[in-house]
Amino acid sequence: MITTAAAPRRTAQTAAARRPLIERWLATIFLAPTVLGMALFTFLPIIGSLVLAFFRWDIISAPQFVGFANFASLAQDPTVRVSFLNTIVFVVVAVTLQLGIALGLASMLQPRMPSWLRVFLRSTFFFPLVLSAASVSIFMRYMFNEQFGVVNWLLSLIGIPAVPWLTSPVASAAVVVLVYVWQNFGFSFLLFLGALTNIPKELHEAANLDGATGWKQFSNVTLPLISPTVLVASVMAIISALQVFDQPYVLTNGGPGDSTRTAVMVIFESAFQQLEFGEASAIGLVLTVLILAVTALQFRLSRRFVFYQ
Amino acid sequence: MTSEKTPGKANPSYAPRSGSGLSQLTRRSLLGLTGLAVAGATVGAWPRLTGSDIPGRGSKALNIAILGTAADAAARQGLVQAFTAAHPDIPVRLQAIQGADWKDFFSKILTMAAAGTPPDVVYVATEGAQLFADKLAEPLDDYVRRDAADMRDYFDDVHPSLLEAFMYQGNLYQLPLDWNAANMYLNTTTFAQAGLDRPREDWTQDDFSAILRALRKARPADFTPYYWTNRLFGGVVPWLYANNTSFLTETKAPGGDWLWDRFYPTDPARATRGGGYQWLSPNAEDGRVIETFDYLRELVAEGLGVRPEAGGGNALVGLFGNNRIGTTPAGGYWAQGLHDAGMTPDQFDVQFFPRWRSQRHQFGAAGYAIMRTAKDKDAAWEWVKFCSSREAMQLAIPKPNTTPTRRSMVNESFYAATGPKHWKVFYDTLDRFPTSGPIPAPPQQAAVETALMKNVSTAVSGSSADVRAAMGTLQRDLELALRRNS
Repeated sequence: MITTAAAPRRTAQTAAARRPLIERWLATIFLAPTVLGMALFTFLPIIGSLVLAFFRWDIISAPQFVGFANFASLAQDPTVRVSFLNTIVFVVVAVTLQLGIALGLASMLQPRMPSWLRVFLRSTFFFPLVLSAASVSIFMRYMFNEQFGVVNWLLSLIGIPAVPWLTSPVASAAVVVLVYVWQNFGFSFLLFLGALTNIPKELHEAANLDGATGWKQFSNVTLPLISPTVLVASVMAIISALQVFDQPYVLTNGGPGDSTRTAVMVIFESAFQQLEFGEASAIGLVLTVLILAVTALQFRLSRRFVFYQ
Repeated sequence: MTSEKTPGKANPSYAPRSGSGLSQLTRRSLLGLTGLAVAGATVGAWPRLTGSDIPGRGSKALNIAILGTAADAAARQGLVQAFTAAHPDIPVRLQAIQGADWKDFFSKILTMAAAGTPPDVVYVATEGAQLFADKLAEPLDDYVRRDAADMRDYFDDVHPSLLEAFMYQGNLYQLPLDWNAANMYLNTTTFAQAGLDRPREDWTQDDFSAILRALRKARPADFTPYYWTNRLFGGVVPWLYANNTSFLTETKAPGGDWLWDRFYPTDPARATRGGGYQWLSPNAEDGRVIETFDYLRELVAEGLGVRPEAGGGNALVGLFGNNRIGTTPAGGYWAQGLHDAGMTPDQFDVQFFPRWRSQRHQFGAAGYAIMRTAKDKDAAWEWVKFCSSREAMQLAIPKPNTTPTRRSMVNESFYAATGPKHWKVFYDTLDRFPTSGPIPAPPQQAAVETALMKNVSTAVSGSSADVRAAMGTLQRDLELALRRNS
């Protein structure tokens, strides 16, 4: 009796003691593919790229250690300098427009709007995001063609002369920003829409009772409540804009001159066209540091304007 | 209390089971099954995971890479079959690699080389000839000498300028199979509207400007008298050559006598032949280069020429076919393109490029290069040699979507369906202007082309004074470009 009564108790204790070990093993087994994948396809290339930045390598010959020579040549290369400057200007303009348009449209969809219209507009605004950036850019290239494009044809109907959309430095930069913002604002829009929907109605009603309407209500109630989403959306938008490639590459190929050449375009050209993989890695490293710095700065500054409930 | 436990049965350690099938599986069984499924899927997908299912990988077949689609590879199956019939011991596999342009194609080949899976033979155009010769390709000299008797017919039929374009530092790296010069295509419908005839063969750059003005006068809107693109071929280079200059200083390497003396002893330009072109230093600030750019800038400013970035490729064919373009530089490849776009042989014609200080033309060619890493170089040479035969070239180039390098193939019947009427212009470009040269493509061609393209657009967009500044920038960019990988 004693034996039969004690056995199950011991088994239960042993099982309980073993469970964490089994769970640890299971966790390890289930996480292994992801960790292995990350190590192989994310961390290892990052380390490889880091190391490569100190070598000269044309993909065919053996790599040659050159120390900081790649970084020194970057500093002397006017194309690299211009491309980084273009990228920063692009980020400032494109992200401001992207977040502004997204927030504006999301706010407009909040009031009493028929649900079918809301669904339609939500899909319409999000739709460009699912299209291939290269395809969109090819299409836009035809639309903005100076001689035969539909945009200039429409302008000609109201007496405006043909605009050199893709062949003048300012206009081509504007087109690149426009196409990029048109294609990407849908994501920020969805984030803002979700955040705005989650604001309790009572807060707006209370603000109304206190006499706050319009801009006052938006800036004092709505914006602080969605500030965490604004932070996330802006961080993502800035990181994405710093890596812009498809639109300027297809629309203008970086021209005219270097006016729309971006940092990632220079990385691509250095690596895959000019076979300077070391130099490309060095530019990539500088860009990564820039992205990290901007993100860190955003989080640092966010302490002042992000309001967590 | 009454126990609900059935005598003789153990207590369930979890919720009572109900139903049947999957719902009766224990968690342990389910995990086991999942593990088995994962293992099974891994085993099943192993060829995909390791890439061993990629056609040709690990095979002993001669792997030949061409720029194009799977349809392009399929179109050459007749060629492969003919080769296999002649060489049953050499299995061949054609691999079409897609790319927007040659630059794109070469990048992919280089990536394949870096990945350890390079093809054995690659179809390379002038744009990449020196890059491949410098880093990847095997010289053909010994093979050509060895099989000189077999090769005689090919060299007799092919212009030496085309061979010289594939010489590098005294060695021959490719046998050119197709080529195109920058000739001037004329839209005869728009010429008729302006009351113009086909210009004379020795027309000048001033004649050209006058024709453009007449075309513009006849069609003031929705029409471009001269359409050119911002590319190495058909862009600013033909004008630089016509003005007897270039944006890179052109010299020739020593050597190559073994080829010229043996196969081209009576070539009128024999004394000028060398061991291949060299582009070692920039020449962008040369007075004639500035003058040439200024001429193109004037054409743009006057509304006679489109800005060079405005378009290209299929759009250009479509616009020409719709009579919205009067003239454009292109090669023999355009005959088939315009035919496919619906133009009849009498709706377009072709003439030599206008004369300026010279009437030197630019051309580009292409042929197979044997990779240094080729598994069986002798077998690769058999492919290269076979493809240079008349039979193979007729199979590979059945219609005028390019110009065959064999003079005998450029004949009346070849252009019967497509036109143009003066198709002789295509090969006469070499015979009449033997100093015509290849597009400037040193081993650093990609960087050189990028530098050229970005500064062309700046140079032709502003005032005359801006041209000199743009050429200063081009000079600096070219110096940087030529330093790359040197």
